[in-house]
Amino acid sequence: MLEAFSIESAPGFAALHSLAREGSAVSTEAQTLRQAASDVVDRVERSEALFGGKGAAISQIWALANDHAEPDWDGNGAYPIHRLAVFKATAFIRALPDDLPLPEFAPEPDGSISLDWIVSRNRLFSMSVGTNDRLAYAWLDGADKGHAVARFDGVRVPTRILSGIEGIMKGKDAGVGPR
Amino acid sequence: MLASGLADTVDNEEDLARFLTSSGHFNAAGAKPAAFLPNAKNGETSVFRHGSHPPASLWQIANDHVGAARTLHGAAIVKAKHVRSVLLDAVAQEPPPRHANIVNWPSSQADPDMTKAAQKERAALIAQHAEVLRR
Repeated sequence: MLEAFSIESAPGFAALHSLAREGSAVSTEAQTLRQAASDVVDRVERSEALFGGKGAAISQIWALANDHAEPDWDGNGAYPIHRLAVFKATAFIRALPDDLPLPEFAPEPDGSISLDWIVSRNRLFSMSVGTNDRLAYAWLDGADKGHAVARFDGVRVPTRILSGIEGIMKGKDAGVGPR
Repeated sequence: MLASGLADTVDNEEDLARFLTSSGHFNAAGAKPAAFLPNAKNGETSVFRHGSHPPASLWQIANDHVGAARTLHGAAIVKAKHVRSVLLDAVAQEPPPRHANIVNWPSSQADPDMTKAAQKERAALIAQHAEVLRR
């Protein structure tokens, strides 16, 4: 029997996306390569948007950015969602293992995007994706709570964040605090 | 006594309304942490003292404060004691009438990302007590 194959989970796709979206190519050859990578990524994402959960999640991120693209979207001086935050959030979604549930998304007043895994009011994992490679996160797990920061290289989800999400969503020992 | 007729000090049992201008700030379970994060410019979260006023008066304030250009989805209502229980404070700040701010958020120039993480934890602790009132 044939098995479904998602190119987004294929080795190298995250790196391909990184090349497509965040390169600083200056030579003609490098620009051509980046454009080609970008075309592949765009095609895959359009395809996955129809069939894949990650594609749908990435579409939600873009929609969120579009809905909060103007300054003061909250009537209280909020910054618009930053384009870099969008790229980093979509990279994070691509890098998530397929067996982890996908988060909900929310705009933050500083222009970051919040990725939230919510089981209940007092059992959740909330992570901010902003303009740099450090991810601020916090969790509530009944009476337990905490917060920390981890570095995301754009390809691999930090282990502490993975275990934190699993701890909340699968009821494992979270162990997400600073080491 | 303030011009609105409310006391200068926000009582622990007072309801504070945080207007929800993004559908991403709540779900079926309730308000999300992002709904309560402070403004990046002044480090405060703007709220309105709701008290026992009917919801219609709250929506009127929202119309004046949030503006017609934005969609108002509702309000997240939380008691002042839940704000104070996480070492933040709710202080009256008029005008406009009934306005208050959630203040004393963690703030550090040395590590802004860790500061943000600490703010998210406190916002989550507040949000877990919030009731979402849909418009």
